[in-house]
Amino acid sequence: MTTLTTSADPEAAADTLSKSFITRYVEKVVLPNGLTVLTKELHDKPVVATMIWYRVGSRNEEFGQTGKSHFLEHMLFKGTDRYQKGDIDLITHLNGGANNAFTWLDFTAYYFTFASDRWQAALEIEASRMRNTTFAEDEFASEKRVVEEELRIGLDGPWEALENEVWATAFRQHPYHWPTVGWLEDLEAASGADMKAYYDKWYHPRNATLVIVGDFDRREALQIVEDLFGGVPPGPEAAPLHIVEPPQRGEKRLVIKKETPVERLLIGYHAPPVAHSDSYALKVAETLLATGKTSRLYRRLVERDQSVTKADASYHDHIDPSLFYFQHELKPGFRLCDVESATYEEIDRLKRGDISTTEIEKARRQIEASLVLSSEEPLQQAILLGQYETIAGDERIARDSRGYHYLDMLFERIAAVTIEDVAAASQEYFTEENRTVGYLMKEERVGEERGCAV
Amino acid sequence: MQYSQKLGARPKLDVERVEMPSGLVLLLSQNRSIPSVSINAIVLAGSRFEADEKAGLAALVGELLDEGTTTRTSDEIAETIEATGGQLATFGDYQSSGVVVTLLSKDVELGLIITSDLLTNATFPEEKVQLHIERRVAQIKARLDMPRTQASDIFNEIVFAATPQHHPPIGYEDTVKKLSRADMESFYRRYYVPQNTLLAVVGDIDRSEVKRKIEATIAKWERAPKFESPRPPRPHRQIYPIEKFVTASKEQLNIIIGHVGIERTNPDYYSLLVMDTILGSSPGFTSRIPRVLRDEQGLAYTTFSNITSSAGLDPGRFIAYIGTAPENLDRAISGLRREIARIVEEPVTTEELEVAKSYLTGSFVFRFQKNSQIAQFLLEAEVYGLGFDYLEKFPELIRAVTVEDITRVAREYIDPQNLTTVVVGPLDDRGKIIKAA
Repeated sequence: MTTLTTSADPEAAADTLSKSFITRYVEKVVLPNGLTVLTKELHDKPVVATMIWYRVGSRNEEFGQTGKSHFLEHMLFKGTDRYQKGDIDLITHLNGGANNAFTWLDFTAYYFTFASDRWQAALEIEASRMRNTTFAEDEFASEKRVVEEELRIGLDGPWEALENEVWATAFRQHPYHWPTVGWLEDLEAASGADMKAYYDKWYHPRNATLVIVGDFDRREALQIVEDLFGGVPPGPEAAPLHIVEPPQRGEKRLVIKKETPVERLLIGYHAPPVAHSDSYALKVAETLLATGKTSRLYRRLVERDQSVTKADASYHDHIDPSLFYFQHELKPGFRLCDVESATYEEIDRLKRGDISTTEIEKARRQIEASLVLSSEEPLQQAILLGQYETIAGDERIARDSRGYHYLDMLFERIAAVTIEDVAAASQEYFTEENRTVGYLMKEERVGEERGCAV
Repeated sequence: MQYSQKLGARPKLDVERVEMPSGLVLLLSQNRSIPSVSINAIVLAGSRFEADEKAGLAALVGELLDEGTTTRTSDEIAETIEATGGQLATFGDYQSSGVVVTLLSKDVELGLIITSDLLTNATFPEEKVQLHIERRVAQIKARLDMPRTQASDIFNEIVFAATPQHHPPIGYEDTVKKLSRADMESFYRRYYVPQNTLLAVVGDIDRSEVKRKIEATIAKWERAPKFESPRPPRPHRQIYPIEKFVTASKEQLNIIIGHVGIERTNPDYYSLLVMDTILGSSPGFTSRIPRVLRDEQGLAYTTFSNITSSAGLDPGRFIAYIGTAPENLDRAISGLRREIARIVEEPVTTEELEVAKSYLTGSFVFRFQKNSQIAQFLLEAEVYGLGFDYLEKFPELIRAVTVEDITRVAREYIDPQNLTTVVVGPLDDRGKIIKAA
């Protein structure tokens, strides 16, 4: 048994004074091999959530090899030198736990939730599959068919079809061009050797964050972590990605023809990355536009114009600049171009700063309350901590909001957003040349939209 | 590998039940882990009380509860809740309707006032009724974009023929278009009465304070002079196999196989819950259907089966589902049918039984993590008479299940000879795959 040694980290002491209830009592430790460990004891429920986050997602893939991050996630349930195929699920099941994983643009994350009297099995499994996953060729072949079926579910979804096309059009150079599940043709061509090489490149302590939240003893847990992970070599240093999407120089438009009873509109604007100084005003704009029945787009499109069944605006935090996007589902008999124009009118109101103090206060409270209301489960807190530790690590981000500390500063930054900030950010990002507009409609309707001035 | 012999960590629930003079049942539980509260109010009425020609009525009544009351406009209701950062949802489904409010605990009083207002004073303003009918018609059309939902709707039409359960709770385009404000008011008056209502308040609360606030609001709701809950007709078990193929231009086939299921109060529920876990509803790929059809044969991303998850006041359904590529049609159907037959014909192994029991007793704790989950449990415990000591009883009920019990209940409730099979996707009405041009 070795004693726990950690790199000097100014935040190593448990954070008891933090401003956010999510980061309160979080302790961060970095093992000598580079593995970051975040722990938070919460003793009100007898459960423990354990997660491991790898900083690799479709962002790290290349043309012709898309979908590898997600496929690899599937292979990590197939067995290691210690666990045979089926064992990971069986152990989870026998212990009454749950496990799953998810992959997105910037990360791949795995989780277990167990009752607190038996949660350590999660650490043993994660330690084993970090470096010792076996890539049996026959397992690879049958899992490939499973992933192809997953991809087909997406191909049948009208929103997925439109999203894929809009992102692929908006991003010409940056890997946010392709969807996380990858292109079907790339997946068909993937080999077991490709997957193994990709695994060897990214699955190492230096590229990972372990998060434990719940009813456990921190000292004991850190000792087990040290025993299980301490001997794993740090792995190669990941070279930073130097792919920059150049500014868009003009509006891009596209139409997808699909046999569908419901037409759909998607408008995406290039928007700044996580923790960018403008990102907070855009989060407030997102809430003003689309959260709840008092939101701008609900009132305008659902209640006043009665032209849509659903009006949405979304802006997610990502490592690199991504899209702020609008998604509307039309009622039969209404035209996409009219809904598009109405959306621009609502955006123009924000640009003019036509926002009341009560309204912006409401939006700030909604952001804060929704974070509280969605953080009841230890797993939900582990997801937030792991996600920001993984995506907000860049040195361009101020130290007080880097990594999971992003969550410390979030409310303060949101509370500081003024009406002028929302107007300025709207003017900066919601411009014609910065947007990509996608229509999904029936083939016979395409002509009817012509001559419709937007 | 060892089964865990440990008793699972148990959640502790402190529940207070109060029956008001009006007949309304109040359920309170304190949980101080985060500063929030969940208020769940249900009325035991839904589409199971609808005639076919009014299909979609209960769902619209539920959806329109927050669109105006005698004391507040729709905007005022939304503003009151949203200004606190809280969230309000209203609903009407197959067997219940109601209001769910989640807010920060300091705003609990506001939540109770609004909940009470919606349950007792909703007005269904004409312009809102029209807005929701039009929106609902669009949503009904949109179901054709969701092949799994479409398959499920078709399955219900067949299996629940001649009962209100055959129609989707959101109704049909032609029935919804004919609904009126008068229909909604009459449904609301008839079924939204205190003796048909349960209210659960869970979270960071002071119970006596909540009771005082309730005295000032919903406790004033007067008992309806006469109220009787209708009894919808029961579905019949089918006595011959049925196959239905529906054409949709999609990449995948969506297949549902099954028949009528059980009621929640059926004493064999617990044996069937263990059977479900062995046959097709464990998370991961431990149970038979996902292990064989997904993990071994690579036929699907999603495949499962269950009979207990739809058990309610009326019998639910036994279903096995798979979504797969068109070329796998025969293998997928025969694979599901083979596993359904095997659970009836052969005893499960002791190992399978122990794994399933270990999972069910160990995972029980996860159903009580959130205030809204606890509130939901309290309502179910009341509706089905489970008792608030259910948390202690549940592990015992599961541990008592034997291999023989599984065989007995499988034979009694699953009939491999008389299944309904529905397939939606790129095939013709005789089940022949349509090749892409």
